[in-house]
Amino acid sequence: MSHEEVIPPEYSFYLGCVIPNRYPFVEQATRNVMNELGVRLKDMEGASCCPAPGVFRSFDIPTWLTIGARNVSIAEENKADIMTMCNGCYGTLLEVNHQLTHDEQKRTFVNEQLKKIDRKFAGSVKVKHLAEVLYKDLGINTIRDAVTRTLGGLKCAVHYGCHLTKPSEIRPWDGECEDPKFFDELVEVLGCESVAYRDKQMCCGAGGGVRSAIKEVSLDFTRHKLEMMREAGAECIVVMCPFCMLQLDLGQIEVNGIFKDEISGPFAFPVFYYTQLLGLAMGMHPNELGLIKRHDLKGVPPYVNQEPLLTQIFQKLGYDYKQLQKQSVKAVS
Amino acid sequence: MEDDLKIGVYLCHCGVNIAGVIDMDELEEFSKTLANVSVVKQYKFMCSDTGQSMIKDDIKAGLVNRVVVAACSPRMHEPTFRRAIEGAGMNKFLFSQANIREHSSWISMNDKQGASRIAKDHIRMEVAKVSKLEPLEPQKVKVTPSCLVIGGGITGINAALDLAEQNFHVYLVETTPTIGGHMAQLDKTFPTMDCSACILTPKMVDVNQHKNITLMVYSEVDSIEGYVGNFKVTVRQKARYVDTIKCTGCGECAIKCPVSVPNEFDLGLSVRKAAYLPFPQAVPGYYTIDMDHCILCGICADPSVCEPDAIRYDDKDKLVELDIGTIIVSTGYDPFDPTPLKEYGFDKYDNVITAMQMERLLSSYGPTLGKPVRPSDLEAPHSIAFIQCVGSRDFHPGRGHKYCSRVCCMYAIKQARQYKEKHPEAKIYIFYMDVRAFGKGYEEFYEIAAREYGITFIRGRLAEVYEDPIDKGIWLRGEDTLLQTPVEIKADLVVLSVGLEARKDADQVASLLSIQKTEDGFFMEAHPKLRPVDTLTDGIFIAGVAQGPKDIPDAVAQAKGAASSAAVLMAKGEVEIEPYYSIVDADHCTGCHSCISQCPFGAITFNKFKGVSEINPAKCKGCGTCVATCPVGAISQNHFKEEQLDIIIRSVLKEGGVY
Repeated sequence: MSHEEVIPPEYSFYLGCVIPNRYPFVEQATRNVMNELGVRLKDMEGASCCPAPGVFRSFDIPTWLTIGARNVSIAEENKADIMTMCNGCYGTLLEVNHQLTHDEQKRTFVNEQLKKIDRKFAGSVKVKHLAEVLYKDLGINTIRDAVTRTLGGLKCAVHYGCHLTKPSEIRPWDGECEDPKFFDELVEVLGCESVAYRDKQMCCGAGGGVRSAIKEVSLDFTRHKLEMMREAGAECIVVMCPFCMLQLDLGQIEVNGIFKDEISGPFAFPVFYYTQLLGLAMGMHPNELGLIKRHDLKGVPPYVNQEPLLTQIFQKLGYDYKQLQKQSVKAVS
Repeated sequence: MEDDLKIGVYLCHCGVNIAGVIDMDELEEFSKTLANVSVVKQYKFMCSDTGQSMIKDDIKAGLVNRVVVAACSPRMHEPTFRRAIEGAGMNKFLFSQANIREHSSWISMNDKQGASRIAKDHIRMEVAKVSKLEPLEPQKVKVTPSCLVIGGGITGINAALDLAEQNFHVYLVETTPTIGGHMAQLDKTFPTMDCSACILTPKMVDVNQHKNITLMVYSEVDSIEGYVGNFKVTVRQKARYVDTIKCTGCGECAIKCPVSVPNEFDLGLSVRKAAYLPFPQAVPGYYTIDMDHCILCGICADPSVCEPDAIRYDDKDKLVELDIGTIIVSTGYDPFDPTPLKEYGFDKYDNVITAMQMERLLSSYGPTLGKPVRPSDLEAPHSIAFIQCVGSRDFHPGRGHKYCSRVCCMYAIKQARQYKEKHPEAKIYIFYMDVRAFGKGYEEFYEIAAREYGITFIRGRLAEVYEDPIDKGIWLRGEDTLLQTPVEIKADLVVLSVGLEARKDADQVASLLSIQKTEDGFFMEAHPKLRPVDTLTDGIFIAGVAQGPKDIPDAVAQAKGAASSAAVLMAKGEVEIEPYYSIVDADHCTGCHSCISQCPFGAITFNKFKGVSEINPAKCKGCGTCVATCPVGAISQNHFKEEQLDIIIRSVLKEGGVY
């Protein structure tokens, strides 16, 4: 065996807004899993909101381009491609990066603005979604090799989210947006079953500013998706976008309220971010993956109670949810 | 010599095509300043009779002895002006055409000054060039009175029959074991509802029996050499493993053959054996053994099975060489494969089929004997939805083609009417973008479908389909853009109206024949309006869907057109070809053989006695490779001699042109 020095893959780790503010444990899970996979994550000092494609791009493209370019320029200083965990951030940063590398006029405009704060967009890095890093950069086989235990046929409703695959032209999925398979493959190598459900590629309901603007329409989307998942016999929902996660998690509580009379019973699907399940299958401890919620925490994510399902899963893996919960309370106090 | 040069420059307005952009008076003044120019004239349409007469009169009056016409592309009118010049008694090679339309006014429409500068450069170059041109005599070559027709569909069949009737010998080459093409797969034809087989099979038989037609099925063109009138074609007759003289077509071999494979004639809806006849009316009617699937069990070769002893396991491909005068390419098309359009679920759901499969289901000699059923339960569907423009009229990359396939509207309406005739209670939906019923009797056919048959037309491109897991019905989701409302409809069977696309081997065929393709992948005609069946390679014609999507009447019309064009050449018996061949200067040739190794056409031989290379003018295509290769500059090419090219370059460089 030769001992060639292997340079670990490196990425500028872009957090966005929803994860730090709503789902900080997703950042924890992703950091730990990527570390375990030998990926170096460089923090992006001073990164701001991406800004959100639905809210900003729809109203003010120059501002959207400029703020996006500022974020990309931080990764350029890092000399490492961007990895984002959020579909919305991916949509913005990828599109901004693409437009500015291909349109000199826009680049000149943006660089005039950035000059005021001593920054410059050079177009020297790529923007990647966590899914692309896992599936393409590291490769599905690396993930398969890293998995040490199976999650026992857990029936997952995989939700891709819109910006991950559309518009397909500048995304790395070979033009596939109607019936992609990469996320399902990533879920299935964990020993889970990705259940086929209708309208899988449909929006969660949150994006495009709809959640902020017309909540009832937004939740009607969510209601339909949840019903389709229930019809297909899913046990939980797996996402790779924190905004979809919020909509499908908190949204269940909301749907159970406002659509009480239209649905056949309240929904209670635990919603997991992909790296939480990946870490578990890689043999990592639930504490490292943000899977244990203190019993005394109310009104904070995750909103849907995950305890019943996790108790079942943990039993097969040799953990006791209740005990871990008690330990975590002690550890904090 | 220079003193004798009298160059006439004739400026064409081409209506407003040129004069609308370029100031013609300024161009006239400019042309007068060029060396050796004696006459400059402008006219609205130089190609008209009057325009041509202006040139002729000046030549006859002795005012000019070299002609430059600044007009359109020489591809368009060089032959016109050459004829005029020749008619006035001047050598037609002392002419040159400056293309100030395509190369100047059209491309620089919004930059009048720029267009004018480019036009001046073109005229400057052509004036310089004609001053060095030499009179040449065109070569005349004989045209062999035989035509090679490639592709035995309805187009090839008609072309072959028309030529054979005029007593020209036709070699009809077809790659599958039978002629008939896609038309043989169709049940009925719109708008007359003629039975396809009933009108096609007699023609197939005529081809087989005609004394002037050599039918070469299960064969492919291997190579083509030579030029108009004198092509040397090698045809590979693929091993059929059946002695075609002994085979009686009894079919015992297929009955006993133990190997079943999907039948391509029925698009996988039925199975055939490894020993097979594609369909009952196949012509010629002898069997073929498909060696890709044959397991060499020997059953069919047993004397009790094949009594005439026609099975030949040791059969081999045969190469046949043919002397051919003209070639007609009628290779047809492939139906579009809808698999990449995931939203239609073709590879996912049993009850989503293509229109070609529907055609086989409707056919009386198809897998269901003309009673369509849906694949999931083999029951007759109570509702059918047709989705139009699948793979057509889509500008998104990777989703098919930009063009309209021209037949799908009509075949969908036809299939819908056929099903409705037998199942009046069935609900039929057609999701369309526009209904293009443009042919003779087509609009009437469409109107009746909607009014009398009660077929529901919904304008809207479908968003997606999904399967009902219980009864395997297909839900269709889209928008009715006329009512501006979302629609969700369930149908027992979905038929994708797939478009027509260029055959997968079109690239190989194009390079084999040195013909061009248009952006859409089909073969390119020499002129879209006036030379629709000619190619830019003399003696080679195209017809049918190989040139672009079209229905049967149009394909047959083109077949007849191509046959007529080929007959013109063969009836004359000889053809003029341009004398642009290369010549070896024997005094300078060192006999190094460099040119011989480089010549792509095998036109150069070595004369051992003289120790020099010699070029056969009839074989030389004037590509100029040998001129560039010769290390001592001993080869020159007629009409493109070094001094002729040199002066063109110098004329622009010296005058500081835009280049």
